[in-house]
Amino acid sequence: MNRALFRLSLAVLAMFVLLLINVNYVQAFQANSLANRPGNARTFDEQFQYQRGSIIAAGAGGPKTIAESLPTKASTTGNTIYQRHYPDGAIYAPITGYDSIYGATGVESAYNKDLEGTASGLAVHNLISLLTGKAKQGATVNLTISPKAQQAAYQGLLDTGHQGGVVAINPSTGAILAMASDPSYDPNLLTTFDGTQLNKVDKRLLTDPSQPLLNRAINQTYPPGSSFKIITGSAGFSTGKVAGPQATISAPQPLRLPNGNFLNNDGDETCFGGNPQVIQAFALSCNTAFANIGIKVGGPTLRSYANKFGWNDANLTIPMQVSPSVIPNITDKSFTAMSSIGQFDDQVTPLQEAMDAAAIANHGTLMKPYLLQSIQAPDLTTIDSTTPSVLSQAVTSQVASEMQQMMVQVTQSTFGTAYQTAGPPAVGTSLVIAGKTGTAENTVSGAGLDDAVFTCFAPASNPQIAVGVIVKGGGFGAAAAAPIAVKVIEAYLGVH
Amino acid sequence: MTAISSQPSAPAAESAVALPRGRRRTELLMLAFAVGVVVFAYANVGFGLNGKLPSGLVEYGIAFAAIIAVAHLAVRRFAPWADPLMLPLAALLNGLGIVMIYRLQESGRGGNPGNQISTISSSTTTAQVLYSAVGVAAFVLVLVFIRDAKVLQRYTYTLGAVGLILLAIPAMLPDSMSEVPGTGAKIQIAVGGFSVQPEQFGELALAVFFAGYLVTKRDVLSLAGRRFLGIDLPRARDLGPVLIAWAASLLVLVFESDIGTSALFFGLFVAMIYIATQRTSWLLIGVLLFVFGAYVASKLFSHVGVRFDVWLHPWAGDNPTHNAYQTVQGLEGLGFGGIFGTGLGHGQPFWTPLVQSDFIMTAFGEELGLTGLMAILLIFGLLVQRGLRAAVAARDPFAKLLAGGLAFAIALQVFIIVGGVTNLIPLTGITTPFLSQGGSSLIASWALVGLLMRISDTARRPAPQPIQDEGMTQVVRAG
Repeated sequence: MNRALFRLSLAVLAMFVLLLINVNYVQAFQANSLANRPGNARTFDEQFQYQRGSIIAAGAGGPKTIAESLPTKASTTGNTIYQRHYPDGAIYAPITGYDSIYGATGVESAYNKDLEGTASGLAVHNLISLLTGKAKQGATVNLTISPKAQQAAYQGLLDTGHQGGVVAINPSTGAILAMASDPSYDPNLLTTFDGTQLNKVDKRLLTDPSQPLLNRAINQTYPPGSSFKIITGSAGFSTGKVAGPQATISAPQPLRLPNGNFLNNDGDETCFGGNPQVIQAFALSCNTAFANIGIKVGGPTLRSYANKFGWNDANLTIPMQVSPSVIPNITDKSFTAMSSIGQFDDQVTPLQEAMDAAAIANHGTLMKPYLLQSIQAPDLTTIDSTTPSVLSQAVTSQVASEMQQMMVQVTQSTFGTAYQTAGPPAVGTSLVIAGKTGTAENTVSGAGLDDAVFTCFAPASNPQIAVGVIVKGGGFGAAAAAPIAVKVIEAYLGVH
Repeated sequence: MTAISSQPSAPAAESAVALPRGRRRTELLMLAFAVGVVVFAYANVGFGLNGKLPSGLVEYGIAFAAIIAVAHLAVRRFAPWADPLMLPLAALLNGLGIVMIYRLQESGRGGNPGNQISTISSSTTTAQVLYSAVGVAAFVLVLVFIRDAKVLQRYTYTLGAVGLILLAIPAMLPDSMSEVPGTGAKIQIAVGGFSVQPEQFGELALAVFFAGYLVTKRDVLSLAGRRFLGIDLPRARDLGPVLIAWAASLLVLVFESDIGTSALFFGLFVAMIYIATQRTSWLLIGVLLFVFGAYVASKLFSHVGVRFDVWLHPWAGDNPTHNAYQTVQGLEGLGFGGIFGTGLGHGQPFWTPLVQSDFIMTAFGEELGLTGLMAILLIFGLLVQRGLRAAVAARDPFAKLLAGGLAFAIALQVFIIVGGVTNLIPLTGITTPFLSQGGSSLIASWALVGLLMRISDTARRPAPQPIQDEGMTQVVRAG
């Protein structure tokens, strides 16, 4: 029987080896995938047992905490866990996004590794924490957002009663000072630990016809309307097809297009007898004058200048992905004429509107827009910060200065389209805003309500802020959009 | 065996295998180590849960040490030549089981984090310590009353009948008395608040029966019938016993919904028939019958089919939240523990249903990690190895067969339950020897170790000095 016992011992050995291999497989190799299984009750608390870093609006008027993690008790285990809290959630939602048990959006998602403390830049810090027995903690993300400007932008949008988006940037750096979207949502609704409750809220927000989760400042496009004349004018000066602001240009009413259709000025009004200076046509926003410039420049060339201002760029991130603003590639003269006054198939985001003005304000140099000022480890050492970078040289400083003169006339000339709402009657004489209005026919909104657009920078002599505003169905750009830009500028500069 | 014992020199050679010392001091040292590990682990639970020494550290520590001391003294008195490692291994497992049950009992109690486990009351740990005392008493009684395992051979058929009756009782009782709450398995006799799982003792009785029966029949069972694919098949008329055992185990499965015990009994029988006859064909026949039976059962009985589905597709559809919930919780617990574990008191084993009994190994895996789980598996492996060593050393064929069977039973039981909770094989609920909450399993395990130590003691006891002096002649080991 000993031979059988010996063989049976081998079988027993094999059984134990199988068990040992299997537990090794489960505990060493599968541990990660098991931890990441949806519904894993054990790792659930763990995700929230460390304090996630705060998000700070560190621009002018700040610093203001716009996202933070506060300790609470887990209902199942009694462990201390941290729940996300967003002070003034709706105002900053397009920036912060939210961090829920199912995933994150916005800055919460873009800098997730830093916020949760797993970024490679935090490795040394984490090691020291481990050795000194301190709890792991996420890094603080400081944003360029100015609480004053953001508050004014969101309140301005709310007051219109229409949907829309506002972006303000610092022209010389590209730092984003405000980014508001209306309607917004309260991200605090999405920080619950109750999956069923979260599903309910998530479904409600997703099916809401007003699309509160949509960041209209960077992810929704609208027709630019007359604000596109900044690009058309820049292209005209840069190519030499238009000698300068004082050159005259033919502006008939109406303009007969090559395809036989007629293109009209706003209200079918004549424009300085049909032969204005370019600067006059710009201030009064004569469509036929700029349609003529567009035809002279030509569709493809016009588009290439738009691209220098950042249009048609599908890869721009701030770090959130920005929807590209679109100028279609057209050679047909009639369509080029319509495109050069911001109609036809032109599409623009509020951010792009702000970038157009910022490039002109910054001597023709377009800075890459960004949100991140710096990331601070829990020990307050800076582990990352943004160095402003040039996105492109949109136009020469000569052309930029000519465009600045024209944009000043929009608010300062008594016949300028924004004289009443962004000129001396509205802001006095000490502050000069340079801007351009747009009132875009919008087939989508219908009911005769045009989209109101305003893009500007201020102060004109020493630009510190560029603002792009689009109010969907708001009507005249000067009436609906310009006042919001004025409020943002005044709040940011601290005047009034 | 016949071949060996027919040689006149064999007894002398066998006696030389046994060491000339009883090695009780080694045992005492190892026991002190085991008690130390257990007390340390218990203190660890207190720190893990509350950040301070647990209440009852001294009381539980002294109680456990006293219980183990009684066992050691009994071995010194009644089985001085027995294997020195078995008792420390059993004591360590028993102690770790108590520690883990205490840890689970403290979940959700007294402001501790963690959910309270509904089937555990505040007196569970005390009860488990008492069961340990009863278990050691059973161990001592085995050593006192069974002075040589051979005497059991006289009661072969009596014990066979007792084993079958113990196995069958729950099937005949109403569900309210026999069903383990929440499992659907009819394996206990519950009267008042007290319950016994008779199959745990039935297993021992049947092992004795198998040994006695097979020792007398093995010559017949060894006879070769046809030769097929290079294997000698037994004669058809000799298939009777194995078919009866197979049918009995299937009946257990059908009437008591207890797949694990059914597999355990049948596996034990097949292993013992193999030891007795050395015929590989019996192993093959046994495995084939088992696979066939399991397959048919999975088709006929939904509760068996579900086990297969959970085994193969634990993450599919709504399995993780329904049928496979327990398995998935166990696996996620193991994963949570990772390589070094969360530390005692720092894991969340309370998520896993029945973590205090069938799934206790996943709690160890979670809190002691892969390292701890492997260490416990190796303790079981060592215990089985010492048992098989006793079987090899035993001179009496009955004792040899019984020891081999009992050692294999431990191995198979560990394989079935640990393989089940780690999803290596389909999950079948049986207790983990020495670790799981509950008295029946613990007491039966102690009695089993008592039998193994008795057989070891007999085997290692030096033979009477031969009259003829063999001088300086070195005896060659026949190992």
